[in-house]
Amino acid sequence: MARFLGRRLIYLLPVLVAVTLLTFLIASLLPGDLAVTILGDQATPEKVAALRAQMGLDLPIWERYLHWLWGVMQGDFGRSFRTGETVLAAVGDRLPVSLELMVIAEGLGLLIAIPLAILCAVKSGSALDRFVTGLAFGKLSLPPYLVAILLIYLFAVQLNLLPATGWVPFNEDPLTNIRSFVLPGLTLAFAEWPVLMRVLRSDMIATLQEDYIAMAKAKGLRPARILFVHALKPSSLTLVTVTGINIGRLIGGTLIIETIFALPGIGRLLVGAIYARDFIILQGVVLFVAVGFVIVNFIVDLLYAVLDPRIRHGRA
Amino acid sequence: MTRFRLWALGCALIATAFAAGPAFAQKQGGTLTVGLELDIPGFDPLKVGVYDTSQNIAAALLLETLVKLDDNGKAAPSLAVSWSHSDDFKTWTFKLRPDVKFHDGTPFNAAAVKWNFDRQKDPKNNCRCAFYISNTLSIDAPDDLTVVYHLKDPAVNLPVLLTRPDQNSTIHSPSAIQAKGDDYNRNPVGTGPFVLKSWTAGDRMVLERNPNYWDKGKPYLDRVVLRPLPDSQSRFASLKSGDADLVWADEFEADNIQRAKKDPSLQVLSYAGSGAAVNAFNTKVAPLDDVRVRQALVMALDRKKYSQALTNGLSRPARNPYGDGSWVQCKDDGALPEDPKKAAELIKEYGKPVSFKMLFTATPRGRTNGQILQQFWKNIGVNMEIEQVDQATIPARAFQRKFDVTPWRIVDFPDPDVQMFANFYSKSPLNLANFSDPDLDKALENARVTPDEAKRAEFYCEASRIINKNATWFWTFQNTYYAMARAKVKGVPKMYGGVIDVSHAWLE
Repeated sequence: MARFLGRRLIYLLPVLVAVTLLTFLIASLLPGDLAVTILGDQATPEKVAALRAQMGLDLPIWERYLHWLWGVMQGDFGRSFRTGETVLAAVGDRLPVSLELMVIAEGLGLLIAIPLAILCAVKSGSALDRFVTGLAFGKLSLPPYLVAILLIYLFAVQLNLLPATGWVPFNEDPLTNIRSFVLPGLTLAFAEWPVLMRVLRSDMIATLQEDYIAMAKAKGLRPARILFVHALKPSSLTLVTVTGINIGRLIGGTLIIETIFALPGIGRLLVGAIYARDFIILQGVVLFVAVGFVIVNFIVDLLYAVLDPRIRHGRA
Repeated sequence: MTRFRLWALGCALIATAFAAGPAFAQKQGGTLTVGLELDIPGFDPLKVGVYDTSQNIAAALLLETLVKLDDNGKAAPSLAVSWSHSDDFKTWTFKLRPDVKFHDGTPFNAAAVKWNFDRQKDPKNNCRCAFYISNTLSIDAPDDLTVVYHLKDPAVNLPVLLTRPDQNSTIHSPSAIQAKGDDYNRNPVGTGPFVLKSWTAGDRMVLERNPNYWDKGKPYLDRVVLRPLPDSQSRFASLKSGDADLVWADEFEADNIQRAKKDPSLQVLSYAGSGAAVNAFNTKVAPLDDVRVRQALVMALDRKKYSQALTNGLSRPARNPYGDGSWVQCKDDGALPEDPKKAAELIKEYGKPVSFKMLFTATPRGRTNGQILQQFWKNIGVNMEIEQVDQATIPARAFQRKFDVTPWRIVDFPDPDVQMFANFYSKSPLNLANFSDPDLDKALENARVTPDEAKRAEFYCEASRIINKNATWFWTFQNTYYAMARAKVKGVPKMYGGVIDVSHAWLE
């Protein structure tokens, strides 16, 4: 197990270097120049050149990258030129919002998807199965922003049960905090469950045809025990993979949901940084998101090993 | 008995006086939640460069300017109580209000005004904001309550130019800036009626009543909460559900504005400002170097239809760069008629095929604008190609004259001089149309040194006639500003320059 862990950790480094290098390259391809952004469009070319030199923007890109990397290794991620915030502070403010949203959205998504998937797998081909699968398909083609606006009009404007927009830190007011995550969490969960349900359903159908399930039935085990203990675990490999990818994606924030519900998450920070040519923030956020993504996938790999002993013992 | 009756009469009189006076009309207390469009990056001019509308709205609460605009658009005292000028309008002296303190307890005085200015002007500080104060050479502080502005070019109307709660005119506490350094940006300290209590990045700013505010009895509200609500639909939903009491809006939200007008629990505030959305032709490139082509392009427009297609008819057509909100009103502004037939004839007369590119922002709105104009011009046999670019690219391309036609905006300033001179004077670096005409230059020069308003207006109307006749620029729609609020929100003044000033609002 330790060797397994070590091997996985070594993969992490090249991934991070590649991701940050790519962001550096892409950011330098964006139109607009940081020095011009700071000085304004009316600045003389000499002033722009002087500021570029002062900020090290005239150095070749690989040199700037190494300079940045050196800072990061010493724990210095830099400061935004326009807000004065450090990258750590900016990410520290926004990350909890995106993480909480991710946990609630994925949790609700799984809560809807797993029972429905099992039900459909057991009653595979029945009218119920066809109805739920059809619903999932229909739901897949409904864009989240539409769902968001519909939910807001129903629960905030008409029923006045939940806030339409906004957010309060958990430690200030836990109840309001949870309340403000219900609608965005539901919106995202609505987008998540159809995919989760469909992958689990098809894996489950395959598992239920295995010999050992027939044997369990023959032994007279209760159906609930067969389904949840014997069938669910081996059927959930694809589900875990898809969930992992979704979680990784949600760590990076969901711009549309954060914008509609006015949540101060990573997505809005990232896009704001792009519009303002705030490369320091941009680069820092991308690094954190990439690390988050890699860590989640690392955990997914570990879960494989837990779910499937063959992987654990290197015999897969 | 007589004494008692006199006493009773006195009481009744006092009661009547109070009931009629403002003390009973404005209610004290309460929290006002305002939904803005954008996240606010901060307030330090050196960091943020130029304030946008969201920053202006917040600055109007926290910070103050020397002068403010009254309900008639005239200069009124704020941090300055009086002012005078030299005969050539190049030196202006302001007397400051005594006994005003910043929120950190340090005194507001002439040295503070000078310090703010010098910091922005200092070339070492590389402030983008310096461009906007280039006409002010220096500020002197001969005594504690006197500041003297020394100008490069005369400004007959300088006080109104110091009224906008923007990066240049608001006065920050010098000691707070020095003490907080990088952190000052998000911890602004001014003299305003509200004090910053807390600020969660991207979520909300909480401002509380300044108990030591110099204007005793004000402000009326206990607290103002500013929240960025970037999505227009959920912003409107927040207003309807009561999560916000007042929200910023613009005419592209025509459907919400019309819904709010019909809703008795809501009110729509609007202000028909000065200035306009405008466009410059590059008169140095063919085929736009021919005046007939430019005139034809302008005459081909149907602004009513344009407005209908763009904003459900809310956009107000513009005939000149001044607009209804300006004190410049012209009997004859020389606007060309909207006449597609005549326009088609002019294109025929030109004889060669007319084809060019026009810049638009890379947004759905930019595309819609482009498609509408494309259609008008196609009808007169002209081919316009839409070039969509990043918002930040447009000024850069404009300054380098790398365009055939570019969109621009005449911002709603209380005096037209700054922008008229910048955009239309032949030797200005912002003369985007690359057009020079001695009569136009003369009119603009005269306008900036003529104190009499009626005579000044006539010079500006002359300028408008010359620009319209030569069709070097064309105007599409005047600047109009909107806010939607719950019916209980009172006391929001005219939204000059699109700034929703809730510093003296109250809740009924």
